[in-house]
Amino acid sequence: MRNVWIAAAAMTRFGRRSETLDDLMADAALEVLSEADCQPDALVVTSMAPEELVGEGNLASHIGTYLGLSRTPGLRVETATSSGAAALYAAFALIASGLHNRVLVVGGEKMTHVSTPRVSEIISRVIDPHERSYGATMPALAALVTRAALAKGLFTEADMARVSVKNHANGARNPYAHFQQAVTLDEVMTSRMIADPLRLQHCCPISDGAAAVLLTSDPTGLKLAAIGQGSDYLAVRYRSSLATFRATQDAAKAAFNMAGFGPERVQVAEIHDAFAPFEILALEDTGLFPPGKATRAMQNGELALEGRLPVNPSGGLNSRGHALAATGLAQVVELAWQLTGRAVGRQVKATVGLAHSIGGMATNNWVTLLEQVA
Amino acid sequence: MMETVAASRCPDCGWVVAPPARICPRHPVEMTPVELSGYGSVVSYTTLTVAPAGFKPPLHIAVVELPGGARIFCHGRETRQLRIGRRVAVEQIDGIFYFASLGVADRVSLFWKRRGAAPDRTRDAVKSAIKRFFDVYKRPSSESTPPTGDSARANEEEKNQRPAEKR
Repeated sequence: MRNVWIAAAAMTRFGRRSETLDDLMADAALEVLSEADCQPDALVVTSMAPEELVGEGNLASHIGTYLGLSRTPGLRVETATSSGAAALYAAFALIASGLHNRVLVVGGEKMTHVSTPRVSEIISRVIDPHERSYGATMPALAALVTRAALAKGLFTEADMARVSVKNHANGARNPYAHFQQAVTLDEVMTSRMIADPLRLQHCCPISDGAAAVLLTSDPTGLKLAAIGQGSDYLAVRYRSSLATFRATQDAAKAAFNMAGFGPERVQVAEIHDAFAPFEILALEDTGLFPPGKATRAMQNGELALEGRLPVNPSGGLNSRGHALAATGLAQVVELAWQLTGRAVGRQVKATVGLAHSIGGMATNNWVTLLEQVA
Repeated sequence: MMETVAASRCPDCGWVVAPPARICPRHPVEMTPVELSGYGSVVSYTTLTVAPAGFKPPLHIAVVELPGGARIFCHGRETRQLRIGRRVAVEQIDGIFYFASLGVADRVSLFWKRRGAAPDRTRDAVKSAIKRFFDVYKRPSSESTPPTGDSARANEEEKNQRPAEKR
C-alpha cells in the first residue's frame, strides 16, 4: 500500500449561504487546485441528498463538468452524514492502491434555502423505517441515546452544556464557522427544549458549505496516516447498548491499527458533535480517553484550545456548523490547517490529529488520522 | 385478550426482533415468526417538543424491551412518570404500539392527538378502553416472563468492545 499525502485543503465558510451548491463546491475545489498548482487525475465528489435538496443527480459528472474536469474520471460516494469522510476514504484507496496519483475530493451541501421541517424530513430518511414511522428524527434518536447515557452516569447535563460552551468559544475565533459567537453555560442550559433532554444549544445548525482536499502520492510532509470505518445496525433498537457507539469503536481500532500508533499520540481532535453529548461519547469510544475520564478532562480545561488535547478547535458541528457531506472533509481541512500552522486565531500546537465522523445515528462512522512528518 | 407483539426469531442465533424482519440483522439467515407478550421494560424515552410532519408535539416516544430481548418504539400519553428500567404494558392499535398502563381518560386524550379522521380516533379510543378493561382482569396471570435487563446485557457486551489503547 502506498503512502497518501495531502497536497492542499480548503473550505468555504459554513452558514447560511446565497451561492448554489455548484458554486460552493467550486469555490473550495478551485482554491485547492490553485494551492496545489496541479490537475487531478481522478475526482471524488460527495453530497448527501442533492436530489432532494437541490434537485441534481449524476453528481460526479455534474460537478466534474462544472469544475472543467469533465474528462477526469469521477465518482460519487455517500454514507449519510459522514459522506465527506467516506469520500476521502475512496480517494485514499485510489492512491494507496496505485490506481491514481492525484485525486481531488470535494463535498458540499446546500440546505438553508429549504424549510426546516422539509430539511428534517430529508435528513430523517437516514433512520430505520419502523423508528421513523414513530416520529423519530435525528434529535429524537440522539435524545434516546443521551437519556440512556445520563442514566448510566456517563456525564451530567452540565457536562453536555460545557461541550457547547467550549465549542462556541472556539467557533467565535474561526472565520469559517457558522456561529462566531460565544455562549454561556446558563444560555445553553435554559435554551429551548428540542427533544428532552436535548436543548437547542446542544444541537448543530443546518448549514450550507463545501470543503475540498487534494490527495497525492508525492510526499508533502502532511500524511493522511489512516482512515478506519466502523458500522452498526441501521435500527437503534437492535443495539445492545444505546450509550456507546460500536461504529466509532470499530472505526478507531481500524484507524489506529492502520496508522501503527495509538491514541496517546493524538494532539488535536475534530469530533462529530452534531449533538453536544456525542463529543463526550466519542472521546471515550475512540480511546482518546479511558471510559469515564473525558468529562473530568473537559472540566479541567484539557479540551480547550490551550489545553492538553484541544477538541474541536474549529468549533465543531455545534458552532462551525454541519453542512452534511462537507462536514467530514471540513474536519480534515481544519486538521490540515492546524498541523501546518495556518489556523489563524485558533492555532494549537500539534503534529498528529484525529477526525471523527458519524453517519446516520452512528451507523457508518469514520476515524481519520493526519500526521505532519516533515 | 392478552396483548401480543408480532416478532421474529433467528433459527441460528436465537435473537428476537420486532417488528418481524425477513433476515436476521446479525447474519443472512431467514427468521421465523414468533409472538411476544406485551409487557416490557423501558430502555430509554424522550419527549419531542419539535415534531416531524404528521405528528403533533409534544410527542412522547419510548423504546421498550420485550421478553426475549426484542425492542420496539412506542408512543405514549406522557413520559413524566417514566424511568429507565420501569415495567410498562405495550398495546397495539392499528399497527402502532403504545406504552404504559393508562386510564380511559388518558387514552381518549392520546388518540385524540393522533393524525386521522375524528371517527377513526373515536373508534381507536373505544377499542383501547375495551382492551384496558380486559387488561385489568387478566394482568396477574400475564406477568410470568420478565424481560432481559438492558444494563446487564449492555455491560456484558461492553466489556469486549472498549478500545484497548487508553490514554
